[in-house]
Amino acid sequence: MFRITKTRSVKLSVTILMLIAGLFMIVPFLWMLSTSFQTPSEVFRQWLPSKLDWTSHKRIWTGNYNFLPYYLNSIKIAVIGTAGAVFLSAFAAYGFARTEFKGRNTLFIVYLSMMMIPPQVVFVPKFILFNWLHIYNTHWALILPAMFSIFGVFMLRQFFLSIPNEITESALLDGAGHFRIFFKLVLPLAKPALATFAIIDFSWQWNDYENALVFLQSPKLYTIPLGLQNFVLENNVDYNGMMAASSAAIIPMILIFLLGQKYIIQGVSSSAVKG
Amino acid sequence: MKRNSWIRKQGWVGYIFILPNMLGILAFFILPALYSFFMMFTDYQFANPNWTFTGLDNIQRLFGDDQFYASIKYTIIFLMSVPVSLAIAFLVALVLNRSVYLKGLLRGMFFLPYISSGVAVAFVWMLLFQPSQGPINEVLRFIGIVSPPGWFADSSSAMYAIDVVQIWFMLGYNMIIYLAALQEISTEQLEAARIDGAGKATITWRIVWPLVSPTTFMLLITGLIMTVKSFSLIQAITGGGPSGSTTILSLFVYKTAFSYYEMGYASTISWFLFAVILVITIIQWVGQKRWVHY
Repeated sequence: MFRITKTRSVKLSVTILMLIAGLFMIVPFLWMLSTSFQTPSEVFRQWLPSKLDWTSHKRIWTGNYNFLPYYLNSIKIAVIGTAGAVFLSAFAAYGFARTEFKGRNTLFIVYLSMMMIPPQVVFVPKFILFNWLHIYNTHWALILPAMFSIFGVFMLRQFFLSIPNEITESALLDGAGHFRIFFKLVLPLAKPALATFAIIDFSWQWNDYENALVFLQSPKLYTIPLGLQNFVLENNVDYNGMMAASSAAIIPMILIFLLGQKYIIQGVSSSAVKG
Repeated sequence: MKRNSWIRKQGWVGYIFILPNMLGILAFFILPALYSFFMMFTDYQFANPNWTFTGLDNIQRLFGDDQFYASIKYTIIFLMSVPVSLAIAFLVALVLNRSVYLKGLLRGMFFLPYISSGVAVAFVWMLLFQPSQGPINEVLRFIGIVSPPGWFADSSSAMYAIDVVQIWFMLGYNMIIYLAALQEISTEQLEAARIDGAGKATITWRIVWPLVSPTTFMLLITGLIMTVKSFSLIQAITGGGPSGSTTILSLFVYKTAFSYYEMGYASTISWFLFAVILVITIIQWVGQKRWVHY
């Protein structure tokens, strides 16, 4: 019965309806791009620029508000932070998934419960701790905590548990130690899961605004979110510039999304499974 | 062989594996959390290192603080975005799960906001909602609304405008999870209902919706927790204003700590935020058994 009503024309009209709905989802991005290419007199008056005006984009990349240092800072923090998080999470996840030791389950429950603690609870103590360690207002204040991810341990533990026990068991019997099994067997098998976590974690760190806001002070250390905020605070009527700067902040993320869509969606789904 | 089984039994290797991560979690999560708990009972201020124990004063102050009650009200308005976003996401996922062309493209369009999260999106919405000339109000005037709301600029509408952005932002995430849940429903069940003569609407409402109820419940709980903790969007758009009308709990903590440097009091508010999350989590534990159809 169902099959017969599901004609091609129904399918086509549903698709068109969804495309219109989807357009509403991406209109803010289109409007941002369009405005960034307009002249000041065109903003809010027309939807499309009369001709592509690159001045705002040029101003973002040259001039006083050069975005390049923010980019370099963000790349440095996100790359080191993600690399550390992937390795340290995988290491711990293997411990939780494949070895037995006293108190393992209790410790895991402690990890679980830590996810309930809102970041706002630890803002103030971290602020004091970083002052004391003399890393407040340095990139280390962002990189160091980012390398220890509770979510990463969860996600990768879940994946390691799905690797058949026989594989590691037989390697153990053949005389390999846990370290060799981890590096030579489990890590290569886990490449897709590691990539998924890496992309998700990278996007979090790239977009991290709260920690940067609390722990960075010198403009030369600013990451992209702070750089953008700085720009808007000082040029809050330069709408073209604001949109050009926003484009500069968003476009790398859109590119990463287009390249790693499969991994991102996988990672999002598996994060929800463990909630 | 003997040696390795010994290692497995003794299990000291396990500690080595979790130790590096554990140390970091201890230093940057557990100890700070304990320290914050301790500070709740002090009058610690950043500028004045001579703190004293004040016992339950901070808690008393909290419950007598008008700003606190206001921030609870704004937090509740903010949390309303969660069920709304879920409802829309369910409908979109239903359609995308049936036969449409360009599935991948459509999925990407709805998901894009979630990945591009951040300050940039906040500024784009700030201009879209600009009261006097912004495109949203232009459209509203065009369709005959003479005095459209001031959105972020007006304390009576600012929190609702934030809701709109939050719904837009979370929609793709919720939709992806719903899609995964819909794909797990066996076609036999739906086929059986069809043979019994159930129409599309009946199947959706009586079979599909109950079958995805664990997903709905999970998304509702995690959505509430994520939303109650979130901070960036509002901080970037309004910074809690105008006249405090978007100062939700998480912003209240931030302002108290880093604008007024009242670290002790800020700790107290942050633990109240934790209590909210704890209650939601307990509801999840209890509720899973009672309200969710498996």
